[in-house]
Amino acid sequence: MTRQRENHHTADRIAQAKTLILCGMGLYLTLLILTGSLDNYINQRFAWLVVVGALLFFLLALVSFYSSRERAAREHHHHHYHITWDIALVVAFPLLLAILIPSRSLGIEAVNGGVSLNPVGVAGLSRSPLDRNILDWLREFDRAATPAQLNGTPVDVVGFIYREPSHPEDGFMLARFTLSCCVADAFPIGMPVISDAAGDLAEGEWLRVQGQLKASAFAGDFLPVVVADMVERVDEPAQPYLYP
Amino acid sequence: MISHNARHGETPERLKFIGLASIAALLLIAIGHQANSSGREYMLVLSVFATRFLGIFVEAVPFLLLGSITSGLIETFIKSDDIMRFLPRNRLGAAIGGAFLGLVFPVCECGVVPVARRLFTKGSPVSLGVAFLLAAPFMNPIVFASTYIAFGFGPVFIGRIVVTILVAVIVGTVIGSFAKAKAVLKSISMGGGHDGHEHCDGDEPATRVKLLGALQIAGDEFFEMGRFLIFGSMLAALMQTLVPQESLLALGTGPVFSVLFMQILAYVLSVCSTVDSFLALAFVNTFTTGAIVSFLSFGPMVDIKSTLMFTGVFRRRIVLYLILLPFVMNLLAGAVINVILDNVV
Repeated sequence: MTRQRENHHTADRIAQAKTLILCGMGLYLTLLILTGSLDNYINQRFAWLVVVGALLFFLLALVSFYSSRERAAREHHHHHYHITWDIALVVAFPLLLAILIPSRSLGIEAVNGGVSLNPVGVAGLSRSPLDRNILDWLREFDRAATPAQLNGTPVDVVGFIYREPSHPEDGFMLARFTLSCCVADAFPIGMPVISDAAGDLAEGEWLRVQGQLKASAFAGDFLPVVVADMVERVDEPAQPYLYP
Repeated sequence: MISHNARHGETPERLKFIGLASIAALLLIAIGHQANSSGREYMLVLSVFATRFLGIFVEAVPFLLLGSITSGLIETFIKSDDIMRFLPRNRLGAAIGGAFLGLVFPVCECGVVPVARRLFTKGSPVSLGVAFLLAAPFMNPIVFASTYIAFGFGPVFIGRIVVTILVAVIVGTVIGSFAKAKAVLKSISMGGGHDGHEHCDGDEPATRVKLLGALQIAGDEFFEMGRFLIFGSMLAALMQTLVPQESLLALGTGPVFSVLFMQILAYVLSVCSTVDSFLALAFVNTFTTGAIVSFLSFGPMVDIKSTLMFTGVFRRRIVLYLILLPFVMNLLAGAVINVILDNVV
């Protein structure tokens, strides 16, 4: 009898934990939307999915709260699933991680195995040179018949510095992550830059680079390289990724 | 009733704790090793892992919620007898019907096993049940939507539909040709089981009560399935953080080996079918199209967690067939897709 009462007590505790976790998940998704840190995780195009997710979490939390109160009043109930504390703990793991580790976008630390010079996704309409981001430029490079075809075109782009031992001393790659859907498919791309200021700049720093294209040898390849006129340190953009 | 479960059916609490603690420790050690070998700060590597993990989770979780709620609604509102009446009885016809039955019973692979078992106990032909079991995790509007959102209308989307239906119908017909319904299920699982609310009282409960019941089940199902999603996302994020893309690329080349590798990955990751498209996106840059299609069509049919559920319901020989036949056929389909795309496009 005592054992049974003890078990009922545990079941109530787990029911409360369930309500709390569901509510916490709803709050977490809401906060992601309100603070804008959602942009660190998924493509903006799918933000509405997260809104739906948050609403459903609150709905389930409400039902869970209501039914656990009802359960306390009524002795007879049946379990469809037997939710135990270890399941609750595993499901709470994302919340724990979200609380303990401050939200950050993928930057230089996340580059794992090189930055690509190939564009991602399907090219759309061409934009005017000064409006092009790094992804647009890589698509233009693909379109150009020869690297020299783009010589002299003005460039104004934002990205973070990526270095490899094969890069020249005054050169680096200006890189961004592309994001089709969520960070699961994040992919680093970049364009080569030559600048006198290269020596003063640390890897991973966010920069705005203005300059002109000139076909040159870079890390063993002959390709369009940005010759920088002006290099300026900037904050990480509000939308850290490029959407193909 | 609860104490009975605790004594016989479940892992002891202490063992569970040790299991979870060792997973957490392994996670931290793996991240520490990576930080050491690449000369990066521990916290930075940890935060990359956290971003990748939470990104996959945040994008996937709305789909899991929609799946859980649909499953709850089916449990409380639909009787499988009603569906059975409209389906063909000959072997091939039943297999084709079974492959499309998922459109009526939209469940992902976590929910498909109990529904398939219920179909068998209600006298469904073997070919229908097997085809349903294999195809249903993909053949439903939610998974169509997530695949479409991830890949758009293209070779991956079309390939996934075609390969899934073909494999499900063929495997269903093959197993149906030699196994009788009674020989498919384990003897213990033939007896009744858990059939919704019917045992509670004879009267049909009001719609409001049913709806509330459906949402309660949905909440429980979210926890029950969410843990597989979380483990899956954790493994995927860990792999992306720790394994350089180049070393994956080495495995990802070749029309056959790339497919083989992705299928093994699908089996090991055990990610829910509603969200596997988003994970597959991570491999688009490194793997062949055939490998992506096979990952997406094989994963929902068979993986670690569904194998565990299969062994609880089906006889051992059937479980073996249910794993091996889809594995070989998906491998073949993936390789064929690669050869076609290489030569035509």
